[in-house]
Amino acid sequence: MLEQLLIFTRGGLILWACKELGNALKGSPIDTLIRSCLLEERSGAELYNYDAPGAAYTLKWTFHNDLGLVFVAVFQRILHLLYVDELLAMVKREFSEIYDPKRTLYTNFDETFRQLKKEAEARAEDLKKSKQVDASSRAGAFDLNKLQKLRAKGAKKPETVVSKVSKAEPKKKPTKKNTVWDDTPRQAKLDYTDPVGENGDNIEVVAADHGESMMDKEEVFSSDSEAEEAEEVGKDSKPETKKKGWFSSMFQSIAGKANLEKSDLEPALKALKDRLMTKNVAEEIAEKLCESVAASLEGKEVGFVHEDFFDSTAMEEALVRILTPRRSIDILRDVHAAKEQRKPYVVVFVGVNGVGKSTNLAKVAYWLQQHNISVMMAACDTFRSGAVEQLRTHARRLQIPIFEKGYEKDPAIVAKEAIQEATRNVSEVVLVDTAGRMQDNEPLMRALSKLIYLNKPDLVLFVGEALVGNDAVDQLSKFEQKLADLSASPNTRLIDGILLTKFDTIDDKVGAALSMVYISGAPVMFVGCGQSYTDLKKLNVKSIVKTLLK
Amino acid sequence: MEGTEEWKTQLEAWKNQLEKWLNQGIEYSQQIPPIQLYAAITILLFTTLLLLLIRVFKRVKSSTIVLTGLSGSGKTVIFYQLRDGSSHEGTVTSMEPNEDTFVLHSETAKRAKIKPVHLVDVPGHARLRPKLDEFLPQAAGIVFVVDAVEFLLNCRAASEYLYDILTKASVVKKKIPVLILCNKTDKVTAHSKEFIRKQMEKEIDKLRASRSAISEADIANDFTLGVAGEAFSFSHCYNKVTVAEASGLTGEISQVEQFIREYIKP
Ligand SMILES: Nc1nc2c(ncn2[C@@H]2O[C@H](COP(=O)(O)OP(=O)(O)OP(=O)(O)O)[C@@H](O)[C@H]2O)c(=O)[nH]1
Ligand SMILES: Nc1nc2c(ncn2[C@@H]2O[C@H](COP(=O)(O)OP(=O)(O)OP(=O)(O)O)[C@@H](O)[C@H]2O)c(=O)[nH]1
Ligand SMILES: [Mg+2]
Ligand SMILES: [Mg+2]
Repeated sequence: MLEQLLIFTRGGLILWACKELGNALKGSPIDTLIRSCLLEERSGAELYNYDAPGAAYTLKWTFHNDLGLVFVAVFQRILHLLYVDELLAMVKREFSEIYDPKRTLYTNFDETFRQLKKEAEARAEDLKKSKQVDASSRAGAFDLNKLQKLRAKGAKKPETVVSKVSKAEPKKKPTKKNTVWDDTPRQAKLDYTDPVGENGDNIEVVAADHGESMMDKEEVFSSDSEAEEAEEVGKDSKPETKKKGWFSSMFQSIAGKANLEKSDLEPALKALKDRLMTKNVAEEIAEKLCESVAASLEGKEVGFVHEDFFDSTAMEEALVRILTPRRSIDILRDVHAAKEQRKPYVVVFVGVNGVGKSTNLAKVAYWLQQHNISVMMAACDTFRSGAVEQLRTHARRLQIPIFEKGYEKDPAIVAKEAIQEATRNVSEVVLVDTAGRMQDNEPLMRALSKLIYLNKPDLVLFVGEALVGNDAVDQLSKFEQKLADLSASPNTRLIDGILLTKFDTIDDKVGAALSMVYISGAPVMFVGCGQSYTDLKKLNVKSIVKTLLK
Repeated sequence: MEGTEEWKTQLEAWKNQLEKWLNQGIEYSQQIPPIQLYAAITILLFTTLLLLLIRVFKRVKSSTIVLTGLSGSGKTVIFYQLRDGSSHEGTVTSMEPNEDTFVLHSETAKRAKIKPVHLVDVPGHARLRPKLDEFLPQAAGIVFVVDAVEFLLNCRAASEYLYDILTKASVVKKKIPVLILCNKTDKVTAHSKEFIRKQMEKEIDKLRASRSAISEADIANDFTLGVAGEAFSFSHCYNKVTVAEASGLTGEISQVEQFIREYIKP
C-alpha cells in the first residue's frame, strides 16, 4: 500500500496530501528525507529508506524545478510497489497544470489523484501479467518517467551509497615518508619521525613562542568581514563582460531551447564532472554531484538556467552547501563544556599510515595551548617503532605532558589510563595519537574500534591527506564502516570531523576536501598546511569552492 | 484715444527695457565659462537623483523582516500565519527561503492604506545558513524563533546560532532589533520566555569566552558581545533584544505583529 503522497513547495508548505491514505506516518520520514538526502546533494539517488520504531518506509520523489515543487511518495518497504515512479510522474504532470503560486488549497486534486492512482495500479497489474511489456513502448506517454529511470541508473540506496566503492586500486605498501619540504630555512622542521637520541639531549627546548597559530589569523569563515563584503558587492555590480570561462561556454550551447532535458545537460555535466576530477575530486563523488545538480535543473526554463550558470550558482550553491559544516566546529566551546563536567575533552586522531596524524596532533596541541588550555598527549601508537619517541619530541618542544606506556600494549588500555591520569591532574584536553592503519587491516581496525568504544572520546578526527584522490572514498567509507561493524555497542560512533593535511602541497587540487566531507558528512575542522606548529588553519569554504569551479 | 496712445508709448518703453535686460543676461551668461555652467547643471541633477535614490533605498531597507532560528522551530508556520492567517495543510522542512511582500493578514480588514511588509523565512538547516547573509543587510528587524517545548535539547545549538547573528557586522553596525520568539506555547510543556532568556544568556556567556579567544587576531570583523567581566545579558547588546511568546499553530502571533509594526510603521 502507498502510505502517503505529498506535494509541497521547496519553501516547505504542504500544498496537498492524500487524505484518503490518511494514516499518520510513524516518525518523520519526510523531514528526514529532506534533511539527510535532498539537502545533502543526494537527490540524484533513486530512493531513500527510512526506519523508525515500528515502520520501515521507502520514499521516492521527483521535483518540478521550474515551479519549485516536490512530490514525495511513502510506502512500506516490504511492498515493492511497481507503479510509484509512474504515479509520481503523472501526479507531477497533472498537478503542475493546476498549480498557481498564489493558491494554497487544492482539494479538487483529490478526485484527479484517485483517477491517476487507479490508472497506475491497473497499468502495474498489466505489467505483472504480461511480463514482456516493453518499457520503451510507454516512453512516449511518460517521458518524465524515462528521465527518472535514466537518472536513477546506477544509483543505490542512499544509506549505502558510499559503501559500494568503484575500485580497489592496488595500494602500495605504505612506507614512512620522510619528505623534506623546501621550506624557508628559519622554520623549524616538525618531523621527528626518526627518534632523535633516546634521551633527547640534542633537542633544544623551545617552549617559547613559535608564533601565532594560523587557526587564529584566519581571514576566513566570517563572511561578515567588511572587506569581503565590499569585494562581493564590487563583483556583483561589475558588468557581465568579463570572461566567463569554460563553464558558461558549455551552457551557451544549450541556450535557446525552451525547457531543459536530460540529454541537453549531458555534455555540460560531463565537462563539469571532468573539471571536478582534475581538481582531484573522487570520480564517484563527482558523478553523484552532477546527478544531483542535473536533478535540480531538469525541466527548468533555459533562460533561467542560463542566468543561473552565469553566476554559476547551481553548482556553487551545491558545493557551498556540502562544505558548510552541519554541526558546530567550535572545539574551544566544547572543551569548556567538558570542563564544567570535570571531564577531560578527549580527541582521537585516526587515519591511514603516514598522513600526518602525529605532526598535526602537535599542531592542535600548540593551538590549544595558545588559548590557555592545558593539554596532555597520549602515545597510543604502540605499533610502529619510533612513534612514541616522535610524540615525546613534540611534547618536549611544546612542554606538554605526555602519557606513554611503551610498545606492545593494548592502545585502548593506554588511552584509558591516559584519560584517568588527565582527570587526576586536571588536564582539559587529551590528544590521543593512534597507529596508522590501512582501512583493510582487520585486526588493527578492530583495535581502533575497541579504543573508541572503550573510551568514548568527544571527538574522533579522521586525518586525511589532501593529496588523496579516488582513494579518499575508500579510506573514509571503510573506516566508517569498520568502526560501525566492529563496535560492540548499537549506537555506533563514527567520524566526527576531518583534519586535512599537507594542504600546502596540492596547489589547486583541493578536491579531497569535497570528497571527504561528502562521504562522511563530517566537517573539516582543521587544515594542516605546512611543517611548523603554526601551520594549522580553518577551512576556507569560499576559496575552496572558487578553486573547484575555476 | 489719448489713453491708448499713451499706453502704447509706455509699452514701447517696457519693451526696450526688457530687450536691454535680455541682452545683458545673454552677455553675462556668455561670459561664464561653459564648464562652470555644465557643472552647475550636473550638480543640480545629481542632488535630485541622490535624494530620490535615498528615498527609494530607505523604503526598501526598512520593510524587511527576517524570520530565522533552528530547523523545526516553526518559522514557516509563522510565515503563513502572518500572511494568510492559516498554516494550511502543515509544513515540512524548508529547502528554500520563503519570501513575500504583503499586508499582514490581521490588518487586511482595515480600510486605511497600510504599508506592506517584506517577510523572509530563512530555513534553519545548517547547510542553508549562508542564505541568511543575503537577507540580513536589508533587514529592519530579525525574529529569532525558538522551540519552547524542545528547548533544553536545542538550547546550545540555538544560542550558538543567535550568537553568530548578534556578532555579524551587518547586524551590529545597523543595530537591527532582534526579537527572540518562544514558539509553540500552546503546549503545556513549553518553557517560559523568562527561563529561555536566562538559559540563552548563560549559553552565550560561555560561547563568548571560547569565541573571543578565537577572534583576538581579527578584531576588525568580529564583534565581541556584552560588557567584559560581567555575566552576559541581552541588555548589553548593541542591538535591542527583546523576548516574546507565540504559538504559530494556533495563530497566537500578536506579539510578532506588534514587533513588526514597531519597526515598519503602517
Ligand atoms: N607539507 C606538509 N607536510 C606534512 C603536513 N603534516 C604532516 N606532514 C609530514 O608528513 C609526514 C608524516 O607525518 P606523521 O605525523 O609522522 O604521520 P602519521 O600519520 O603520524 O604517521 P604514522 O604514525 O606512521 O601513521 C612527516 O614528514 C610530516 O612532516 C602538512 O600539513 N604539510
Ligand atoms: N505545537 C505546536 N507545533 C508547532 C507550532 N509551530 C510549528 N509547529 C510544528 O513544528 C514543526 C516545524 O514547523 P516549521 O514551521 O516547518 O519549522 P521551520 O522553522 O520552518 O523549520 P525549517 O524550515 O526546517 O527551518 C511542524 O510540524 C509544525 O506543525 C506551534 O505553535 N505549536
Ligand atoms: Mg604517527
Ligand atoms: Mg521552514
